[in-house]
Amino acid sequence: MCGIIGCAGRGDATLETLVDGLRKLEYRGYDSAGVALADRAGVDVVKKSGKLDALVDALEGERDRLDGTVGIGHTRWSTHGAPTDANAHPHTDAAGRVAVVHNGIIENYQALRDELTEAGYRFRSETDTEVVPHLVARALDDGLAPEDAVRRAVSRLEGSYALGVVVAGVDALFAARRDSPLVLGLGDGANYVASDVPAFREHTDRVVYLEDGEFARIEADSWVVTDADGDPVDRAVNTVDWDPEDTGKSGYDHFMLKEIHEQPRALRQGLQGRVDEMRGTVTLEEFPSLSPTRVHLVACGTSYHAAVYGARLLQSRGVPAQPFYAHEYASAAPPTDGALVVGVSQSGETADTLSAIRTAMRRGAETVALTNTVESTMARECDHRLYIRSGPEIGVAATKTFASQLVALNLFALDVAPGGDDREAIAALRDLPGNVQELLDDSGAAEVAEAYADAGSYFFIGRGLHFPVALEGALKLKEISYEHAEGFAAGELKHGPLALVTENTPVFAMVTGEGEGARKTIGNVKEVEARDAPVVAVTDGRTEVDRYADHVLRVPETHPRVAPLLANVQLQLVAYHVANDLGRPIDKPRHLAKSVTVE
Amino acid sequence: MDIDTGVVLAAGEGTRLRPMTHNRPKPMLPAGNRPILEHVLDALVGAGVSRLVLVVGYKRDRVQDHVGPTYRDLPVEYVVQDKQLGSGHALLRARDAVSDPILVVNGDRIIDEGMTTSVTEVFDGETTLGVIRKANPGHYASVDAEAGRVVTLLEDRDEPSFPFVNAGIYAFTDEVFDRLEATPRTNGTLPITDAVVAEIEDGTVHAAEVEGLWADATYPWDLLYLTRRLLEERRVNGTEQHPGVFVAPSARIHATATLQAPVVVGEDCEVGAGSVVGPNAALGRNVTVGANATVVDSMVDTDTRVGVASTLVETVTGENVDLGAGTVVSGGPGDVILDDRVFRDRDLGAVFADRVRTGGRVAAEPGTLVGPGARLRAGVTVSGRVGANAEVTR
Repeated sequence: MCGIIGCAGRGDATLETLVDGLRKLEYRGYDSAGVALADRAGVDVVKKSGKLDALVDALEGERDRLDGTVGIGHTRWSTHGAPTDANAHPHTDAAGRVAVVHNGIIENYQALRDELTEAGYRFRSETDTEVVPHLVARALDDGLAPEDAVRRAVSRLEGSYALGVVVAGVDALFAARRDSPLVLGLGDGANYVASDVPAFREHTDRVVYLEDGEFARIEADSWVVTDADGDPVDRAVNTVDWDPEDTGKSGYDHFMLKEIHEQPRALRQGLQGRVDEMRGTVTLEEFPSLSPTRVHLVACGTSYHAAVYGARLLQSRGVPAQPFYAHEYASAAPPTDGALVVGVSQSGETADTLSAIRTAMRRGAETVALTNTVESTMARECDHRLYIRSGPEIGVAATKTFASQLVALNLFALDVAPGGDDREAIAALRDLPGNVQELLDDSGAAEVAEAYADAGSYFFIGRGLHFPVALEGALKLKEISYEHAEGFAAGELKHGPLALVTENTPVFAMVTGEGEGARKTIGNVKEVEARDAPVVAVTDGRTEVDRYADHVLRVPETHPRVAPLLANVQLQLVAYHVANDLGRPIDKPRHLAKSVTVE
Repeated sequence: MDIDTGVVLAAGEGTRLRPMTHNRPKPMLPAGNRPILEHVLDALVGAGVSRLVLVVGYKRDRVQDHVGPTYRDLPVEYVVQDKQLGSGHALLRARDAVSDPILVVNGDRIIDEGMTTSVTEVFDGETTLGVIRKANPGHYASVDAEAGRVVTLLEDRDEPSFPFVNAGIYAFTDEVFDRLEATPRTNGTLPITDAVVAEIEDGTVHAAEVEGLWADATYPWDLLYLTRRLLEERRVNGTEQHPGVFVAPSARIHATATLQAPVVVGEDCEVGAGSVVGPNAALGRNVTVGANATVVDSMVDTDTRVGVASTLVETVTGENVDLGAGTVVSGGPGDVILDDRVFRDRDLGAVFADRVRTGGRVAAEPGTLVGPGARLRAGVTVSGRVGANAEVTR
């Protein structure tokens, strides 16, 4: 996925505005970046493969050339074509009249490319995007006015796109969206367009979310949104309520560590006004009373692990519930059978999850979006919305949003399937922010990470509600340390994976409470200990697991349903410190983007 | 003259406030229902600075997590003082983060918004010191001023005192850093005032007389005094439902509970049936007061649970304390033992530091200090000092 920014009306600050915006969008992809400014004579483009700093270096000495007051910028994460200078955006036509930035995939690009090549338009990159400037150029050649030329080009495209287009001699930029996020920012004497609000949040908090099939013309002092036919549509102006504050690192070396430490605050936000411990009730705003006979949870990556946890929680309250990988659900959907389908996605823009939700909707299922992003595509398309209220997350590796998802799933389970122990469960949720703070005050994870930073492989085992945390612990470590890690249901270990266990494979075991699950997991700990594997117990100390462990990571005692959230914070810290000890670029791991908006 | 950058010295622990500072530095201790530091930052925002630099050190995560990357829309930069070697040493850490004139304040003393403004108004490019009229300097530096200039500044408490004390609010140009570098350390530490004294001798330090709330916590029981003062000044977070009754919108108060002014109830709190909170009580965020409990003249910090039918008088709690049903703290005066010193007849019922857990029917004698993480078994009566993570079974 990629990030787009565009602005009109920033005068001499245009280039700075674009580069600052790109920096805020870097989390969306970062294997190349570029900007284009339009003036009377033409469009000037500078683009570079590599991180944004490579572009900033390339801009040195080019600043005099780049003097337009309307511009677009792009950070790219490759889907078509390698991350080279040529493949970087913006893309232009042969004459340098048109520049285009694009997020998404143009599915009919080969046909369009053949058609344009036939007509004499020469291509310089391997990207699907490059068909767009040539289509615009061709329409201009046919004598169309710039806006009409852009509209005609857009009408030819199939697939997904968020587009930003500038044309030489026009003091406006054009934007269009289908199945890729795009939002307008309305400033004072300047207007913006971007993939996401942080790109222009320092300039304005007033935004307009574009819908699929809509087109926008943006100038310094005006903006208009039209439908595919060119008829103006009346779009509401929203005010975003979070600050640019959320884009700084507050004294931490990495966003990831900042966000791990923000969890008490994020969890408080997620609970605020929603729980009443004295009455034992949950109140979810603008959420209907649902009593589903079954629930399907669809998600990918970290959100899938939240879905596994959510399904188990619902099952424990008597609701048949299953988690599914969204991409599998979309291509091989099980019978919906009256299921309520819950999409779990931090961004609400995950293409695979949207695809699964749309599949379910086509089959007549009622849908719920469980997301961090108000007005995201998933939030708008689903029948109901449950916001996790975690606040913006910048680090590519999800941390606080996973915790917030688990809390929201607890609230969801309490709401749709009330039970006998609700007051106790709510008390545990209310205690959770303080428990996380207690853990953060004295974690011990850095020492464990240091002891095992050169291990060959890492295993994580857990049972019941700890199983999804074992999966997530392994994923976090993989994502940011590039080391091999696997999560297993504790009981599954002896059915195969035990063969991989050696003295060089630390095993992290989640053991909380003193029930049967804890006892059995201790049995699994003994199995790996007998193979000389170092054992790290993540435990509340209520059993004797310490005795079999080489290291202990302590978590506060709490209710069984929230203990996994605490264990997870310890594993986040282990992953962070291992990656940090290995010198990895923690906030921007290779090959990964914050939210994956391509299928 | 306007000053762009506010520098806050927030690196120190505040050892005399132990056991409250086990997990956080003194600036993060609650006063009313907000950390002391927020009151300080508000004073800088009020003086019109456009950016904030926080010098952090002891348990700095807690400052960073709370304040975050901006405060009231102003960007915040953090610089780290690893060893706490005095206020001048702390200020030197900020050298690379500032260039223009700076307004420097302590992060652990509540000051009035008008005070910072008075200092910037006097500041004209020469070092300016905020001074406050005080008959008895106590342990503050005594200051003599004439015609708007500081004439003498004495740290030594035994000396005869002058009409003013040092309010700890300074305006400097960035030349202060060179002067601090050139100032020899005394006993290994470098107070800011050591660098100012030489300038005072040259007669180039302006005195800006400041007035208003200027309050400091030296010992744990001072937190109760600060709470009382801040309620008086209405400097608490919450919506004023009745005169002197401040309640956060997200708090849930049972219809049969009584809030007695002045009182503040923080966000996400739950106050149960038949309970009485106030007067002079502050509940931090997410506090639970069980049914029929009474909380008077007390400060109860974030995430703490007060069990049903408990009575807390002149009680200070840290975060995430869990007091069982029927806990009784009947209030001062009591003798408090701190660092082998006994403070007689203090108005203190008890201090329960962070994460203390008690069973039911625990009673605390006046002046008791219970250390962080201590466990008190049901029915025990505690007095004097209980160590960190101690288990008291009888």
